[in-house]
Amino acid sequence: MDQATIKRLVEEVVRELAAQPAAADTATVSKPARGGVTNMTPTTAGNLTISETGDAARGTDPKEVVIALSPAFSTKIHETIIGIPHAAVLKEICAGIEEEGLKYRFVRMYKTADVGFVAHEAAKLSGSGIGIGIQSRGTTVIHQKDLPPLSNVELFSQSPLIDEATFRAIGKNAAKYAKGENPTPVPIRNDQMARPKYQAIAALLHNKETTLVDSSKKPQGLQISFA
Amino acid sequence: MDQEQLIRQIMAEVMKNLGNADQVSFEKKPAPAASGKIGVAEYPLAEKSPHLVTTDSGVKLNDLTFEKMKSGQIGPKDFRISSETLELQAQVADDSGRGPLARNMRRAAELVAVPDERLLAIYNALRPYRSTKAELYDIAAELEGTYGATVSAGFVRQAADVYEARGRLRAD
Amino acid sequence: MKSKRFEVLDARPVNQDGFVSEWPEVGLIAMDGPNDPKPSLRIENGRIVELDGKPEAEFDMLDSFIATYGINLEKAEEVNAMDSVELAHMLCDINVPRHVLIPLTTAMTPAKAAEVVSQMSVLEMMSAVTKMRARKTPANQCHVTNLADNPVQIAADAAEAALRGFAEEETTVGIVRYAPFNALAILVGAQVGRPGILTQCAVEEATELQLGMRGLTAYAETVSVYGTEAVFMDGDDTPWSKAFLASCYASRGLKMRFTSGTGSEVQMGFAEGMSMLYLESRCLFVTKAAGSQGTQNGSVSCVGVPAAVPQGVRAMLAENLIAIMLDLECASSNDQTFTHSDLRRVARSLMQFVPGTDFICSGYSSTPNYDNMFAGSNWDAEDYDDWVILQRDLHVDGGLVPVLEEDVVAVRRKAARAIQAAFKELGLPEITDVEVEAATYAHGSKDMPARNVVEDLKAAEDMMKREVTGLDVAKALSKGGFDDVSEAVFNLLKRRAAGDYLHTSAIFDRDFNVDSAVNNPNDYAGPKSGYQISEAKWEILKTIRQAVSPESI
Repeated sequence: MDQATIKRLVEEVVRELAAQPAAADTATVSKPARGGVTNMTPTTAGNLTISETGDAARGTDPKEVVIALSPAFSTKIHETIIGIPHAAVLKEICAGIEEEGLKYRFVRMYKTADVGFVAHEAAKLSGSGIGIGIQSRGTTVIHQKDLPPLSNVELFSQSPLIDEATFRAIGKNAAKYAKGENPTPVPIRNDQMARPKYQAIAALLHNKETTLVDSSKKPQGLQISFA
Repeated sequence: MDQEQLIRQIMAEVMKNLGNADQVSFEKKPAPAASGKIGVAEYPLAEKSPHLVTTDSGVKLNDLTFEKMKSGQIGPKDFRISSETLELQAQVADDSGRGPLARNMRRAAELVAVPDERLLAIYNALRPYRSTKAELYDIAAELEGTYGATVSAGFVRQAADVYEARGRLRAD
Repeated sequence: MKSKRFEVLDARPVNQDGFVSEWPEVGLIAMDGPNDPKPSLRIENGRIVELDGKPEAEFDMLDSFIATYGINLEKAEEVNAMDSVELAHMLCDINVPRHVLIPLTTAMTPAKAAEVVSQMSVLEMMSAVTKMRARKTPANQCHVTNLADNPVQIAADAAEAALRGFAEEETTVGIVRYAPFNALAILVGAQVGRPGILTQCAVEEATELQLGMRGLTAYAETVSVYGTEAVFMDGDDTPWSKAFLASCYASRGLKMRFTSGTGSEVQMGFAEGMSMLYLESRCLFVTKAAGSQGTQNGSVSCVGVPAAVPQGVRAMLAENLIAIMLDLECASSNDQTFTHSDLRRVARSLMQFVPGTDFICSGYSSTPNYDNMFAGSNWDAEDYDDWVILQRDLHVDGGLVPVLEEDVVAVRRKAARAIQAAFKELGLPEITDVEVEAATYAHGSKDMPARNVVEDLKAAEDMMKREVTGLDVAKALSKGGFDDVSEAVFNLLKRRAAGDYLHTSAIFDRDFNVDSAVNNPNDYAGPKSGYQISEAKWEILKTIRQAVSPESI
């Protein structure tokens, strides 16, 4: 009998000496507490005119892509985390969609500021089933209505890396998906130093965004004109 | 007297000499019967107690061989863990002082029989704003009725009640 | 006039980092938040009716879940009545063993656990981690990803990482639809490098579960939980759905751990004014309550947030310690980038590297950081030599071993050939000899020829529709002439049927023997106890290719 076997046996015997208790289960149900609270003042003014047109309707036009904006987009926050004006962001996305001969429609989300849900809501409202969700800081998702909310067709999670050309390419690809095409995804960018530089600032921006979340308010249709 | 017995006897003597083992027995415990509980001593099952492990299709663990796989005698279903094995692992978890892990393994044991697609669908139904209270109660009834999953059924009902209280049910 | 000294200082890497002042009202504070609840607990008729200052009627979803399932009631009143400083003393006292402490620490409330660790310096926390971690032997985990989701490169990098000593390997995707290929490539590559490596593919929850059910992954980690109800909802789950998910994994014999970390709640905008550490403590109690065997924590992807505020790095060690106090497997982060400064990144990692954890990094990038699709890791392939030399300097086993170039080249080539064969037998788009050669010698995706992405994505979708399983992969490898790799994949599947690696902190050695907190529990009790580097292991760790031997001169 070798040493390892002896050791194993001794361990076994020692363990046989120990016994363990288990905790009991009880069920509880409870009531809601308060939600998050933040307060910050708005920054730079933009050059977009946005008016709400009431509850957004579910589209039937298979040639449309719905673009959903987060609560603070061009209301409290007017440029992305790297300073691209929101007007330029929307112009590029719209141009990309138009290049493919499709139409776009804007809505604003109040229920959530999470870009995945914003984009998924856009897709559900879209006649083509394809939607784009954008957060104020620039994070963007192309979504499809039949996917799980936190999945995506294409995700651009690193807002500091999204430039004007990328926004145009996002619009273009969304339109292609809406047409049933299978485009090459917009090349993903990666910068491992974006987080050290920007993440805490992104947190500040997002806390501004979530102050405007209203869980009972339905998505609103938007009329947008570029000044 | 085999060597193992010898060691057990020696240990008993040692402990006695230390003066604290009056009520401790070092007799080899019989292999656990189907109704008895196993513990840390039997773990890892695949290495120490493979005879206790049968997969969901009824194949003995040691009958899952590479040669049989290559010749196509065994398929994906033969590799599925059984609820009996999960119960044994839950006993090991209990014995190592990990009650919540054991509870999870016992819920899992009930879910072995639920097909992949249905399991995914139930998980998705439990996510926020996906289901009405009635839909969750129906799922609980299905878990109980079709699969005998009583613990999981209670768990789903509890979720439904909490979701209702917290406003996390689907609003149609 | 500008000071020349400040000109130089301003140009230092550390000044590229973002720093912000504390803003406690929204929870932008690492620990000891002014709004954090004081610990409290009341039990009536065997149930918790007050938790951390809240009566049952005011419980949110997390409170209800924790009160129902997450606290060891037997010792709860006893430990919560004890002085937090005394408990902190016990945690770093070598004369109070782990098995005495665990029944107490698992009986604390979330606020109590946060209060106890707040009494400790980082040095004291490190000694507590040494004693309290679950598995005796420390290990490490890596990321295997690339910018192009190139499967040949993933297989080669996975094989090299296995050779270098990682016990677990994790991939994720640039493009979600590539997930089945990435899972397949890391599975095959890792088993080429060393049989018994566990692999996973981090994607959306339901998709990840599906990959596991098909046998294309061996474990899961992206099961995220959050410390406030509002953020939980934005994460598209509830404590109940997550606990159910945990059971789904176990029902298929799959290892799984939850993920959480300081900063996620404030990052997602609903911290409810609580400190990052207190909210993380809630996450960990939810994790425990759900019956998860372990957690990946240490801020993880939100690291830029705690790292930007005072004592954020201390908070990250504190949250690892709470996980460990709850008897959970702890994959202790040290993964994602948080700084431009080499000094800061090493200092942050020493907190786990020195005491050792179940997985010191929960994602050391096995590629150069430009290919790291978790947006960069604190350690990458270009730091491999630094890591093994740090081990050698400090006589620490950080989970890696020095390797030779010819061995790395050989194992990369074999992995690329194996995935080439598997693709062929499974009817997936061709992997050419040119790609195999490129992957053999590549450093990153810039060295790889481009693949036809549209064709790959179509085939990946088709692979899921055809329900290709891990067993099909094993068969394909055997048919393609890689019997040894095939047998390793087979053994992974077989071990799932036994369920041994569902237990806390479980990993496999190359013979598929399980090493976990159950059969290899940590028994540290001061100097020369607990995990000790064996003579044979030290011989391996100290032998680096760069060292000049006296005989050679």
